[in-house]
Amino acid sequence: MLSELLSRVLPFPLAFHPHSLLLLGVVLFGGTLAGRLFQRFKIPQVIGYIGAGMVLGYSGFRFIDETALANLQPFSSFALGLIGFMIGGELKISTLRKFGRQFMSILLLESLGSFVLVTILTTFVGYVLFGDMVYASALGLVFGAVSSATAPAATTDVLWENKTKGPLTTIVLGIVAMDDGVALVLFALATSIAGNLLGISTGGILHHLLMIGWEIGGSVVLGLGTGFILYRLIRNFKNEDRILAFSISAILLLTGIAVTIGTDMILAAMSMGFFITNFAPRRSKETFKLVEKFTPPIFVLFFVMVGAKINVSSLNLVILALALVFLLARFSGKAAGAWLGARLSRAPATVRRYLPLCLLSQAGVAIGLSIMAGQTFPGEAGNTIMLVITLTTFVVQIAGPVFVKIAVVKAGEAGLNITEDDLILQSSAADICDVNIPVLDEDMSISKVLGIFAQHDNLYYPVVDGEKRLIGIVSIEKLKDTFMAAEFSEFLLVHDIMEPAAYSCGPGTEAVEVSRMFKTLGINSIPMTGPEGKVLGMIEHRKLQQHFTKKIAELTRKADELEHS
Amino acid sequence: MEIKDFLREDRCVLLKSTRKNEVLLELLEILEAQKAVENMEELRKEIFYREQLMSTGIGLSIAVPHVRFEGVAAPIVMAGVSREGISDYASLDEKPIKIVIMIIVAKDCHRDYIRLLSMIMSHLKNEEVRDALVNAASPAQIVSILEEA
Repeated sequence: MLSELLSRVLPFPLAFHPHSLLLLGVVLFGGTLAGRLFQRFKIPQVIGYIGAGMVLGYSGFRFIDETALANLQPFSSFALGLIGFMIGGELKISTLRKFGRQFMSILLLESLGSFVLVTILTTFVGYVLFGDMVYASALGLVFGAVSSATAPAATTDVLWENKTKGPLTTIVLGIVAMDDGVALVLFALATSIAGNLLGISTGGILHHLLMIGWEIGGSVVLGLGTGFILYRLIRNFKNEDRILAFSISAILLLTGIAVTIGTDMILAAMSMGFFITNFAPRRSKETFKLVEKFTPPIFVLFFVMVGAKINVSSLNLVILALALVFLLARFSGKAAGAWLGARLSRAPATVRRYLPLCLLSQAGVAIGLSIMAGQTFPGEAGNTIMLVITLTTFVVQIAGPVFVKIAVVKAGEAGLNITEDDLILQSSAADICDVNIPVLDEDMSISKVLGIFAQHDNLYYPVVDGEKRLIGIVSIEKLKDTFMAAEFSEFLLVHDIMEPAAYSCGPGTEAVEVSRMFKTLGINSIPMTGPEGKVLGMIEHRKLQQHFTKKIAELTRKADELEHS
Repeated sequence: MEIKDFLREDRCVLLKSTRKNEVLLELLEILEAQKAVENMEELRKEIFYREQLMSTGIGLSIAVPHVRFEGVAAPIVMAGVSREGISDYASLDEKPIKIVIMIIVAKDCHRDYIRLLSMIMSHLKNEEVRDALVNAASPAQIVSILEEA
């Protein structure tokens, strides 16, 4: 109504349709809600987003139709750009040097493993189903090539959600980011051979390889160039808002250019992230932190759209059989290749054991390649490829994140990439409180207090009355003052030097609140009390920081140990 | 900071009472009459509560009742002398208390508080000063003895 009225009054057309805004709201809100719900049941939130997309899309209420999907498509590309940028940020040259040999051997063997096994098995099943060996071989080759791709989005989402750190995480990030490159090369070779087999002109191998060369080379040059420009722009900025605005707009611009000139947007964004993290280290940490904070709604939108595109009604037995073989062969091929690659390159035990579980996901690239195959091979072959890949992508989109989670938990890498802020958010006063601290009675003599200070390394002690209720705090500063009256100190009591306890917290008080109290009240210690003000312990600011530093060092040590396992 | 900065003739007294509680109240009544402290009832409670935790009789016939108290602008030092001695004022050496120095300092003036206690202690260590105080004939004499100590 409003838009109609406005369009009559305004001399120019409205920039947006209210329906688009409502659509965005429903998609984001519904997706986030579903993600949160799934997370509560310890299922990766990305499955919740995809589930919400299925309910809203083709398989459900069709609230998100073809037009809506077309309208929201730029967000999807933007999300892939953000994912590429964030992954690039993880690829430090030092890491690549350290894991380079492992990256290369695992990457090649897991890609080729699935390519070979899927090609052989789908060719065989295709022959059984269609009775035509040439047709089956062509199908098998394309399926094999598509099978080698692994989607970074859902995988990295699980890694980030679970704050993982360690050799498995590093290898998975590198592999999922780079095996699309291998998939593109294999696809070029496979479609050329398949085209020749079926008698369809696909432009020849050389043409395809040139295209791939342009796609990969162009993406890298474009990404590195944009990264350089972004670095020059933000290097002197102190204002976080400005850094965020330039970074996000650079990713958008880069993604847009990559799509326009026909290069790979993920690879381009990854190259930009790679440049920033390696050649602009002074600015990189905060840039990635800021961009990361910006990503959640875009990722929700992306995964809801993935779910919305899935149409479960267009399936038949042939498709189901081929899909099943594709899934089993792909998993076996990737698992065997990854295991062998890890073994040959002497990768840590956790990588050998759990990497196969992390390479299941497929998404945009697989679908994209199947659509390309659909266009290259018109008719039944093309349709079969598109339907099978759509179905298998759906299955691995749902199953992939679950397996990634199992793998990182079993490998002991979940929760190792935690910052002090994360620890504060996860803790309550009871977790950070020193419950073994001696409690001082108010009629205790200073000489006794000196003894307690000498035996313990606390600098602040709670003081209680006769009923053991908190009444004050004795600090090292106040105790130090009594040295001025050394002769009188034997007549002084705790009561004389304590400060009244104007603040306290309970065991359930969140650590965030405790941290805020330290900052806003400018205090160094907070007593923790239970029912009726009985003292349960003491939280010292100094000890709190030591506790977190120690915890983070412990987690880093654990991650380092995993590297040498 | 010196004790004389806070000594006032009208806050020094030749004590009439010979019982601990009465002596403390006698000193506090002077403050009340001078309207030096707003919440006298609370101050009374604090002084007696501190004595309940441990007597402030420190030996050598000296007692130093002391508190940090909210609502006191500058430190208050009071001196009371009893030739007869205060029989029930528990002291470390179990000798009767004859000199009572009351100190009241603001809650947040912890250092001034400790310094004053230290100064009292060092002044009264001298036996001649203690004897002179016990034999003082007037508040003015108490002030001058402590100022010269």
